[in-house]
Amino acid sequence: MVADPYSPLTRRLFAEPTHVAPAAGELAEGHSVYLASQGLEVRLNANVSSGRLEALTFRASGCPHFIAACEWLCRHLEGKPVGALDALKPAEIMQTLAIPVTKTGRILVLEDAVRALGACLGRDQTP
Amino acid sequence: MSRDWLYLDYAATTPVDACVAEVMQRYLTYADEFGNPSAQHAAGRAAMQAVDEAAESLAALVNCDPGRLVWTSGATESNNLAIQGIARSRAQEGRHLVTMPTEHKAVTDVFRALEKQGFEVTWLRPGRDGRLNLAELEAAIRDDTQLVSIMCVNNETGVVQDIAAIGKLCADRGVVFHVDAAQAVGKLALDISALDVDLVSMTAHKLYGPKGIGALYVRKRAGVNPEPLFFGGAQQGFLRPGTLPVHLIAGFGAAAAIAGESILDDFTHLKLLNERLWHGIESLPGIVRNGDAETSYPGILNVSAGGIDGESLLLALEPLCVSTGSACNSQSQEPSAVLRAMGLSDALAESAIRFSFGRPTTVADIDRAIDIYRAAVIRLRGLLPEAA
Repeated sequence: MVADPYSPLTRRLFAEPTHVAPAAGELAEGHSVYLASQGLEVRLNANVSSGRLEALTFRASGCPHFIAACEWLCRHLEGKPVGALDALKPAEIMQTLAIPVTKTGRILVLEDAVRALGACLGRDQTP
Repeated sequence: MSRDWLYLDYAATTPVDACVAEVMQRYLTYADEFGNPSAQHAAGRAAMQAVDEAAESLAALVNCDPGRLVWTSGATESNNLAIQGIARSRAQEGRHLVTMPTEHKAVTDVFRALEKQGFEVTWLRPGRDGRLNLAELEAAIRDDTQLVSIMCVNNETGVVQDIAAIGKLCADRGVVFHVDAAQAVGKLALDISALDVDLVSMTAHKLYGPKGIGALYVRKRAGVNPEPLFFGGAQQGFLRPGTLPVHLIAGFGAAAAIAGESILDDFTHLKLLNERLWHGIESLPGIVRNGDAETSYPGILNVSAGGIDGESLLLALEPLCVSTGSACNSQSQEPSAVLRAMGLSDALAESAIRFSFGRPTTVADIDRAIDIYRAAVIRLRGLLPEAA
């Protein structure tokens, strides 16, 4: 039988994401970045408290690997210091979710969104 | 992987009918008619009789002379034999060929290979309904045109071309006409003798026969003498040498006989399923039917859900076994060439799903598919971001 193109973790994150952001109009507070590239779209929303990512949510359009990666990074980074956004490594996401190398470009798009969110939060927290 | 799936991919392949499998069993073991049909002894003659009977069955299904059928390994080989064979045999008269970008890859890739060999190919784009504009075909045919190749039923959309009118046009202009009928044989009433067609590609596994066996009809007419692709024996008049796979051919014949008996009932059944599925999902916002319902084969329903990634939709649709119109699972990540040629945007083409139904499909299957499709589209739409 041909190997399943999706790892069990990818399947689980894609099927049951728990960090889907409310629609833009329903967002009460927090910071948000939107990025569209290579046919992919992602919006990341963060609420920060005491220098930590209190809540991190997403909305996205893309392949299952991309959506699973969005959900994974929200789970992974939530509760961590804001600086963790800049420390995120695409290779870690790809390895954890067993994403094929042909989809590296998609994870780099997500990395760009994460970096943009980090920059946004950094600006707003500068005295 | 469990068998919890619901198979709605009959345009990709069909299961072998149990009666067909039973017939095939008669030509395998020592206790059966296992002989080489090229042999002159009794075992060989018994095998050849099975081959002849299969040819009679297939010829009866499509109303042609059984003596004009060439057995191949499937529609891909039939297409290659027809297109390459005619292009080469008529190259002295001219090197211009005509086809459409909406053809199956087993046709388009052959034409692309011929382009690299110095042949000139005119690619006629369809209208938004997927059909060929006859006036454009007429204008495309030149004095040096040797071959027109147009499929009967499109494998992605089910769109049916006007083969009778295209054939007449080609006949009037003295151009050889090849039809890829892989998705049509046994599904639509195909009367080869009444049509101006010179070469017709067929395959068994789309009509509940085995994989690995196909046929090419070659009309007996001056100028229709395809050159062989293979060499190595006198079988089939040297056009397609090699030992005939009797069990596969017998299976093809049996499947053709069953199709001949059930073709009208099958069509009615598939039309009912097609309409039920479409009515069950058409109320979803942004749903588009690809291919006109009135001019399409009802065994296929191709729909797009704007804004949704096709690969994600395919996964969200599990346990449905359907096909995506895009090739996102492949290395190319390109949207369907067929749907793009019909004028669909990349976004619509990438979200296309092909449902295809068969004899075993039930109304309950369709109702389940409706529930799964609606839930998947609503869920994935719920993930979409709004542009900043």
